[in-house]
This record gives sequence, C-alpha cells and structure tokens, in this order.
Amino acid sequence: MSLTRRGLLAGGGAMAAALTAGVADARILPSAMEPLIGPGYKPTDRDELGMWQQMARVEEEVAGSNLLINDLALNHYLQGLIGKVGGPAAKDMRIYLARIPEFNAVMFPTGFAVIFSGLLLRMRNEAQLAGVIAHESGHFLRKHQIRQWRDMRTKSDVFAMLAMGAGVAGGAAGIATGNMVQLAQLGTLLSLFQYNRTLEAEADATGIRQLAQAGYSPMAMSETWDQLIREQDASARYRRKKRDRGYSLFATHPAPESRMADLRLSASEVTLPGRAYDDGRARYLSAIGAIRPMLLDDQVKLNDPGASQYIVETLAIDGWNGLLRYYEAEVWRLRNRKGDDARAALGYAAAIGYPDAPPDAWRWHGVMLQKAGRMAEAKAAYARYLAMAPNAPDAPFIRQLLR
Amino acid sequence: MRRGSIALAGAALTLSACVQTKQYADVQFAPPQGNYKLLVMRPDVSVGSVTTGGMVEPRADWTEAARANVIAALRAQQAGRGGNALILERRDGLPGVDATTVAELERLHYAVGSEIALHKYSGAYLPTKRGKGLEWTLGEDAVALGRKTGMDYALFLHAEDTFASTGRVALQVLGIAGCAVGFCAPNIGGGGQFAYASLVDLRTGEVVWFNVLQAGSPVAGIKMGDIRTTDGAAVMVERLLGRMKPGKAVARALKARQ
Repeated sequence: MSLTRRGLLAGGGAMAAALTAGVADARILPSAMEPLIGPGYKPTDRDELGMWQQMARVEEEVAGSNLLINDLALNHYLQGLIGKVGGPAAKDMRIYLARIPEFNAVMFPTGFAVIFSGLLLRMRNEAQLAGVIAHESGHFLRKHQIRQWRDMRTKSDVFAMLAMGAGVAGGAAGIATGNMVQLAQLGTLLSLFQYNRTLEAEADATGIRQLAQAGYSPMAMSETWDQLIREQDASARYRRKKRDRGYSLFATHPAPESRMADLRLSASEVTLPGRAYDDGRARYLSAIGAIRPMLLDDQVKLNDPGASQYIVETLAIDGWNGLLRYYEAEVWRLRNRKGDDARAALGYAAAIGYPDAPPDAWRWHGVMLQKAGRMAEAKAAYARYLAMAPNAPDAPFIRQLLR
Repeated sequence: MRRGSIALAGAALTLSACVQTKQYADVQFAPPQGNYKLLVMRPDVSVGSVTTGGMVEPRADWTEAARANVIAALRAQQAGRGGNALILERRDGLPGVDATTVAELERLHYAVGSEIALHKYSGAYLPTKRGKGLEWTLGEDAVALGRKTGMDYALFLHAEDTFASTGRVALQVLGIAGCAVGFCAPNIGGGGQFAYASLVDLRTGEVVWFNVLQAGSPVAGIKMGDIRTTDGAAVMVERLLGRMKPGKAVARALKARQ
C-alpha cells in the first residue's frame, strides 16, 4: 500500500469532518425532549457512579459556603419553584442561592443547582425565573453532564488512537503526519464545543416544555434573553465598545440571539390556545423583597453604569418605586460624568416622593440640598434619615450636623 | 479545581522520576515522638482510571476501597510511632466541635497549603522566606481547635491515584511498537500517584512540616504503587510520613551534640 502526504492530509480532514458531522446547530423541538430520568434517579453505570461520588464532596462545599444567602423563606421559595418546573426530578433537585452579582445559574450532575443573586435582581417576575430554573433542570433531566463526559471520552479516545495509528503508519510509510494530526485535533476540539452548544439548546427546549406545563408563560424565556442582550449592549455602549458577540466555533453556549429566536419559536409551539398563563409577579416580588435592596446595591457597585442603568429601567417597566429611583440616582452619582450630580440630586428628590424610599435616599437628598446651600431643607431630610435609621454607622456625625 | 494548584507542585517534581518526595520543615521542627495526640483531618482520597485519550475517570468503588485502606494504614503507622491518632472520617466526627468549624479550618488549610505549594514547590520562591524552612501558619483558629480538643497536632492529607485503562495500555503498546518504524512514543504517561501531607502544630498554629509525594511511570501501564490494596496504601503512607526530617535548627543541634 502506498500512502502520499496529500492523501493523508485529506484523510485527516475527513476525520475532522466525521467527528463534527451529525450535530448541526438546528433548533431542537421541545416535543422531542422527553426527560431521560424518573423520580429518585440514582446512577448505576461505573463512570456516572464515580462522577456522583466526586460531586457529593462538591455539594458539601457549596452547601457550607459563606457566599450563600441564608434567607430561609427565600430558599424555600426557590425550592418550591424547582418543584414546579423540575418534572419527574422535582423532588430530587436541590437549589442553593449564592451572593454573586452576575447573571448566571449552574446545574451540577447530581441534581443540585446554584443560582447567582444577580439572576434574582434581573428577573421581572416568577415566570422568568422559573424559565431559567427550568433550563437548569433540563440539564439534569436530560443527563447532560454524563453525556458530555462520555462524548469527550469517546472523542479523545478516538483521537488518541487515530493520532498514534497515523504516526505509526506514517512512520512505516516514511511520511510525517504532524499536519494531519493537528487538523484532526482541531476537528475533535470543534466537535466538543459543538456538542456543548447542542446540550444547551436541548436544555432550552426541555426547559420551555417544563415551563409551559407548569402554567407559566413560555414567552418568559425569550424575554430573559432579550433583556440580557440589551443589557450587554447598554454596558458596552457606555464603555464605547461593541458587545462581545460570543459566538464562534469555540463557544460553549449558542449565541444569545439564536437562543432567543429559537425560544420564541418553541414558545409558540408549546403555548396552548385558550390557556391562561401566569407570570407570578406579585409572588416573586414578595419573595425577594427582603434582599432586593442588597441585590441592587451589589449591582450598582460593580462600576458598570451602562448595565446598571439598563437593569433599573427594565425593572421599572413594571412601575417605578422609591427603591428603583434611589438606585437610578446612585448609578448617576457613582458614574460622575458632567452633570451627573444634578441628575442624581433630582433622582434622590424623586425617590423620597415614594413611600418606600430607603433611608439612604433621604440621606443623599440631604447631602445634595446641603451642597446647594439649602441648609434648612437639608436638615429636615437628615432628620427624616435619622428617624428611619437611628443606628446607621454615620448617625452620630449627622446628629452633629443637626445641632 | 481544588487540587489544581497543589497538583502543579507535584508536576514540578519532574516527570521522569518514579518515586519522589520532597519535604520542608519549620527550622524548629522536631518530629513528634512519644505520647503525642494527633488529629487527622478527613483524608481526601480519590482514585480514577486513565482513559485511552488521557482523561481521568473517577471510580467510586476504587476510591472507597483506597480511602479505607489509607485510613487503616495511617492508624497502624501512627500507632507504630507511639502516638494517639484520632482520624476524622466526616466533618462532624469531632466531639464538641461543629462541622462548620472543621470545614473552615479545612478551607483555611487549603489556602495556606496552596501558598506552600506555589512558593516551595512550583518555583515562585520568596526571597523573604529563604533559608527559613517552612514559615506558614493557620493562626488562632488552629490554636483554638487544639485548646478545644486537647490535640497536639493536626495532619491534613490528600492522596490521588490513577491507573491506565486497557485502552491506554494498548495505546502505549502501539507507541512502543512504532519505535520499530521510526515513530517512537515510548512514554505517553497515564496513571500514577500524587499525595501531600501537612502537619500543623495545634499549640502554635504553625504548619511545621509539609511533604509532597509523586510516584508514577512515564510508561502507561507500569504501576509504582496501588492504594486500592492494603499493602499499597501502607507503602504510600510510609513514603509520605515515614521519614520525617527535623528542621534545620534542630538538626544542627543534634549534630553538635554527637
């Protein structure tokens, strides 16, 4: 048998193509996404047993982390949501809420999820949050982590054998096979990322199916993506940059735009005509009420005024209140561009017009009045601040001012 | 993730060697002898199989067996030195101390251990710590634990062992066979041991002794130890803890006395 270098290279290309083929980035139909596990699922395969054993230790770490928000009622509420959209595994999944001001949530292979506090900040209602939780549940219901591990194992096995085989064959035929092996390696890598994107799309499709079954508006999921895209645009615009589109052959997640488009199509598929869908906004707001000031505060202090302003405005679509007005003013004050001090002063003045204005709104309103030389009004505002927050760290200082 | 930075220290111990240990001690360290009380913090043991492509697949059954063996070997080894060892198998296994306190000390030690790995093993040497032996401490938290439990020392132990799968061995055979035609891959690696132990003096809170063990062969399929077996676990514990050297100052004093 005679082998040529060109022939081998073509072979490598074919090998790369063979590894990537069969996993196109097409929309996955919710109707095809039957859960792969039942209630009380426990692994029996050797590789999955090993993975679960390792994860038990990870969960122990997560459960004992000091990043967790230990609001009992709120944790109970989140657990209840996973119970609604978790399908057959509703009773098996656990949920942990971590104080991390980012838009994210993670599902681990043994059925526990970590929700970032930044997610709770951004969600406008229960349906949106349930959509994200349903997506994460989808990873567990469709056994994504072990499937991905197996995919990686198979592909790396095949690659290692083919590379070694090619090397030996090339050696026997007196041809250097380095180029071809590199090409095959690229093919293997690309197919790994693509498999990951396919699983994300599966989780979207599974999630939207669970969401609709639980009686939430299935449009909530695409709304969430729409918000995320706009937020990233706003954040980038402030920094005079373009949003990182994040979509490439090496991306682990599909592009937000394509996810949003797919989710819209899927939503229309799973919506039953005549059925009333709930968004659970009142329930959601009362559940996160106690930590909402903290969520807003964490976001505003990220020094990302573009995103912060977008988030405040998005939440305000459902109605302005004292808390949102106060943080809108905070974004301006901390941004500190030309004219922002005047903007912030107006913002604090607007915030105190609402019955739910936080004590700090009165404090900053006072500071702004004092700066403008309106000391009498400033003192009145400070007095109100002290009445609301008598134990504030700066209370003695403010009292001194009032003398 | 967790073991990443310390594992790097193992890698720094050169890959070609078969069994290597490298220990550091506080200058004032004298290996514990006589009737000391040792608290062994939950040993972190994991065993896996190396797939053909070189990934490590954790194995639950092997890990269970190895953990039991390592604990038994530790107990036997410490008894041999005359010490009383209390081996924690779970975080809540210490009477009078809650799991959170144990967890926090474990995390603190992990952070300090990673620093030791970085500055003593991975080449990022610190000029301020030159010639000072091992100079790290867990501080008051460790002292408080010692006071509460009446223990003299705490030992933190991490051990991992991996074995080449049949596929990996086949790949190695192919690599060696290739030498005949000029495509030589005689050592693709796969399998081996990595372990570290860290001894903390609970009266001062200081990390007084640290050792890293690396055992493996660059040829996939050749084992340099096996902690899944009782004998293998005993060998690993002995390699790691058997030859505790005293600190510089103590060694010098001993020499002067002779």
